[in-house]
Amino acid sequence: MPISIAIVDYGMGNQASVVHALRSLGFRVKLTASANELDEAQLLVLPGVGAFPAAMEVLHQKGLVSYLKESARYGRPLIGICLGMQLLMSGSHEHGYTEGLDLIPGEVVPFDGQSVHIGWNSLEFTRQTAPWAASDGEAFYFNHSYHLSAPEEYRVAVTRHRSEFTSALQRGKVVGLQFHPEKSQAAGKTLLKNLISELTHA
Amino acid sequence: MLKKRLVGVVTIKNGWAVQSFGYQRYLPLGKPLCVIENLDRWGVDEILVQVIDRSIDGQGPDFDLLERIGKQGLETPLIYGGGIRTESDGVRLVQMGADRLLIDTLLHQNLIEVDRLANKLGAQALIASLPMSLNDGNLTWHDYRSNSDKVVSTELEQYLRSGVLSEALLVDWRGEGLASRFTNDLVDEFPVKNTPLIAFGGLSNADQMRELLAKTNVTAVAVGNFLNYREHAVQKYKSALNGLPVRLPTFSTVNTLMAGADV
Repeated sequence: MPISIAIVDYGMGNQASVVHALRSLGFRVKLTASANELDEAQLLVLPGVGAFPAAMEVLHQKGLVSYLKESARYGRPLIGICLGMQLLMSGSHEHGYTEGLDLIPGEVVPFDGQSVHIGWNSLEFTRQTAPWAASDGEAFYFNHSYHLSAPEEYRVAVTRHRSEFTSALQRGKVVGLQFHPEKSQAAGKTLLKNLISELTHA
Repeated sequence: MLKKRLVGVVTIKNGWAVQSFGYQRYLPLGKPLCVIENLDRWGVDEILVQVIDRSIDGQGPDFDLLERIGKQGLETPLIYGGGIRTESDGVRLVQMGADRLLIDTLLHQNLIEVDRLANKLGAQALIASLPMSLNDGNLTWHDYRSNSDKVVSTELEQYLRSGVLSEALLVDWRGEGLASRFTNDLVDEFPVKNTPLIAFGGLSNADQMRELLAKTNVTAVAVGNFLNYREHAVQKYKSALNGLPVRLPTFSTVNTLMAGADV
């Protein structure tokens, strides 16, 4: 039976790309904001492109903040991608301070000097175990202007752009990926497949 | 280390992918989806789809095209340009699969709407399209809708400096589509030094690409017609850029998908 994945549909992101990437890997994928349908999935994906405050506002409006917190508390795997990763944190300083889902301690801060980080860059994994080790040194596609300031204990991978920043992190079964695996060609598909297999079978 | 990028450009007019020459002459290339699929397979670093008749005709973005591209399931980041009028246009395009948006007409018409787009989508999602030329040593900004040029205004400079847009596609519009016609001086004369630039228009020679990519403020080169003139053009360009921080000339990975995964 294929693993069932629900992509949280809150209108802020490149859902079509994520849906397609996961289906191409053989997963059963549904895009939904309905609690009943989200309940049926073994794993949730929170995608996202956009600004943090607008995204949190929509999550509140759709009643998804409490849902996602509860889901994580019960140990259901959750993967946040790009903005979706940032939403997992305690809060963000993008356009003022906004509280996040607070599933992983830490804050989202701007790069120094109005910098953006766009393009392909390598990941250096600090955890040389499955599912991460196989992707060590691979280049993935990034597209962001804010990054995480998170405790080292949750850090899984770092990337260098002027200075070092956290590009993947994990707390239990909650995982954040700052890059876009769904747009990172073969390297992205390998990582997604290994990560989802690990999170749903562990 | 952040890699320098090779962007594949697909220009679309009247529903067809075209070769474009100097913003005024066009030759059909084929069905857009076929050209886009090829670029995705060849492993370019980003694909720019620019639909050049949407703003002139007041049609808005080509959502139908985006929907069809979305169904292709591209594995390569996608930039879309053409007919973007409002924040809601931008949000819908991103939902349909565009990773970033190329803004041209709105820069001439409505900077407030560009601000709204940035507030909603973030600066990283927005790229300024700036067709430029040098006239008597002065950098001028081309408005393709009226086929007119104007001096780069202080307002535009300040806007770029503000960081509302993440990068600028610096187009040598006169040299566009013509071999080795990109004028490197456009980069040197570009007044806003902190804006990352994607050089485009008449880039066909790997040595010239190398020279441009060696500049700190040039983050990418974009190529349109010349990716379609020979076999394995992407791989050949990337091989010729050896020594610069670019991704490997193929998109294959040393890793295999996890063996025995139960999916």
